[in-house]
This record gives sequence, C-alpha cells and structure tokens, in this order.
Amino acid sequence: MSHSTEIDSKHAWDGGQSPFRISYGKMMMWFFLISDALTFGGLLTSYGFIRHKYADVWPKAENVFTHFPFIEQHLPLAYVGLMTFILIMSSVTMVLAVEAGHRNDKKKVIVWMFWTIVGGATFVGSQAWEWYHFIIGTETGALRHVWSQELHTYVEQTVYGANMTVNEYGVPQFANYFFFITGFHGFHVFSGVVINFIIFLNVLKGTYEKRGHYEMIEKVGLYWHFVDLVWVFVFTFFYLL
Amino acid sequence: MSEFHDDYPSYEHMAHHSEEEGKKTRKTLWRVFWYMLAITIFELVIGSMAPAKGWSGTLGLKVLFIGLTILKAGFIVMAFMHLGHEVKFFKYVVLVPYVIFMGYTIFIVLDEGVYSGHAENRTKVDPILIKQQEELKAGHGHHAPEGAAHEAEAHH
Repeated sequence: MSHSTEIDSKHAWDGGQSPFRISYGKMMMWFFLISDALTFGGLLTSYGFIRHKYADVWPKAENVFTHFPFIEQHLPLAYVGLMTFILIMSSVTMVLAVEAGHRNDKKKVIVWMFWTIVGGATFVGSQAWEWYHFIIGTETGALRHVWSQELHTYVEQTVYGANMTVNEYGVPQFANYFFFITGFHGFHVFSGVVINFIIFLNVLKGTYEKRGHYEMIEKVGLYWHFVDLVWVFVFTFFYLL
Repeated sequence: MSEFHDDYPSYEHMAHHSEEEGKKTRKTLWRVFWYMLAITIFELVIGSMAPAKGWSGTLGLKVLFIGLTILKAGFIVMAFMHLGHEVKFFKYVVLVPYVIFMGYTIFIVLDEGVYSGHAENRTKVDPILIKQQEELKAGHGHHAPEGAAHEAEAHH
C-alpha cells in the first residue's frame, strides 16, 4: 500500500521493475476497465443525444418506475433507490474482502466475499423484477399510434407496457435505451457475480493462502467496483434527471 | 512468475499490511461509504421534490445531479478501486485517455448534434403522444398513462 509511493523516478524506466509499481494482472484489469468504461460512456452519450432530441415527449422516470415489492402503493423511485443502496453496500463488502486479503485473513475474506455475492445476486434479481413491471405496464395502458402490418398504416391502439417497438409511457426510444443500457449493465453484474463465486470457491479451497497473497480478490474487486461505478451513472441519467 | 524473474520485485506482496494499518483503512472505507449513502439519499430527496417545486429539467438540477455523480464516481475510483494510492504516473495513464476521449465524444455530440433539429422531428413522433404531452403541460391529469385512459374512454 504505502510502498507504492517509494519510486526513484530517475531509474523508473530502466527495467527490472514496473514503473507503475503494480503487478501485470492488476494493470491489465485497469486497461480492460478503461475500454469497458468507454463503451458505457458512448452508450450514455448517445442516450443523452436521443433524449434531448425528443425532450418534450420523453417519459419521466418517476411516472414509470413506481412499484415496490409487496407494497401496493405509488412509490416513485423508492425501489431503484434501494437497488442503488444494495449495490453500493456490496461494493463496500468487496473492498473489505480486499482489505482482509491484505492481512491474509482467510476467514474474513470468506465472510465479505459471501456478502458481496449475496448483494450482487439481489441486485440482478431486483433488475429482473423492474424489467418485468416495465414490460407488463399499467392496468389502464395508453392509446398509441401503432404500425399495422396488414393495413400498412398507423392505427390507434391501447398499448400495455413497453417493448422494442411500442411504449406505453412515451417514445419507444426510451424503452430501447433502457433495455439496452440496463441490460448491458445487468449482464456485467451477472458476470461479476459468477466471477466472484469462482474466486470465492478458490478462497474456500485455500488456493490464495497457498499462493501467499490474495491479489486475485483485488482484481475481481476492481471489476466489481467498476460495475458499481457504471450503475451510479445509469442511476443518474435514467432515474434522476 | 518467480521462476522466470528471480530478482523482479513481487508487487503482489507489496499490498500486504499490518493489523493497525488495516484498522485505519477500514475506518476510511466506512467513512467513504457513509458519504456515498448520504449523497444518494440527498439525490433521491431532491429528485422526489423536483416535480412539485418545478425544478424538473432545469439546468441547475442537471448540473447538481451530474456534479454529485462525478463526486460519487471519484469516491469509488479513488477509495474503493484504490487508484488514489497508486503511483501518480499510473493514475494519469488511466484517467487522462478516458477524460480526453469522453470529452471529445460529448463535445462532438453537443457541437454536431444541432443538425438533428427539434421541430421537424416532432412530426415523426406518435401524434397521440404529442397531444398527451401538450395536455400534461396545460395541467390536465397527473401523468401520461392516466390522460391516455380518459382519451380511450372518449373514443369508445
């Protein structure tokens, strides 16, 4: 930790050491995350573009995401707030697992990794639940102009929920971007849970204890925090603004 | 690794720290967590107050939310992902290319995006939707689905 600042800048690039004072695996994880962050950055920028283009017909998130499990009440954005809390919490448990790894404390690594996996799985489940309600829509539905294949013209039709072509709540582009960006992020969370689980099994088996260091926890931790980082932006641009 | 590079420093072991250092680190991490939780709750409170107070869609609100998001992102990257404690040069290797590319992307969208226009595109959007939005702006109904339901009744 504190060693990382001790570097002789004159000989940093002379070879025999990393000028970054960082292992190969960790550095490559960072480079992968930069490229992944550029992908998400591009997606969110294009979302912003389309949103401004259709600014006056763009649905407001507080009118769309109003459900909360087991409570039959109009609670806008409450559930997504909880989801955000769960993901930030699992980021904290992850970083505590990394910290325990630095002390070679196997027991604590197991405990914190376990809670990280629980948090991640809960988040993926919550997202599935939110998608379900978005696709099902409200009981009243909304009248929309829908393209008819037989008549080759637009017909007025009551639409329930959202899919790739029609959207009860507003322009279909909202649903397209919502499905694509939260889906892409959700797949990242899912992969993160799977990777965390594999590493968790390795910790249980004692692989890293034998190796003498728990750097693998740090590497998967970087990926896991990145997933949280992306969610912070998705949360702002889809739900708050 | 060690069989190939006997005199190579083992960076994997450098991150090890003692019990006391661990205590200090944990304290910092929990503090960062409370900051982030406070920011998120603040955002949700402001977000739920916005429609009633007429703040929705104002530039001030956008700047506030994006600013707080970047602050949260800074906490995650610097504290949780530990970038704040890496060598200064590595910090720049990670952050500078990203900031340049994203800055350019945002610039090009803001600059060239004006060609997409506003008025002529509205005609391509569902006319019912435009009508509903105009009704909403005029103050009829609470949100689009409800207004649409009344309209459906009127048609039948």
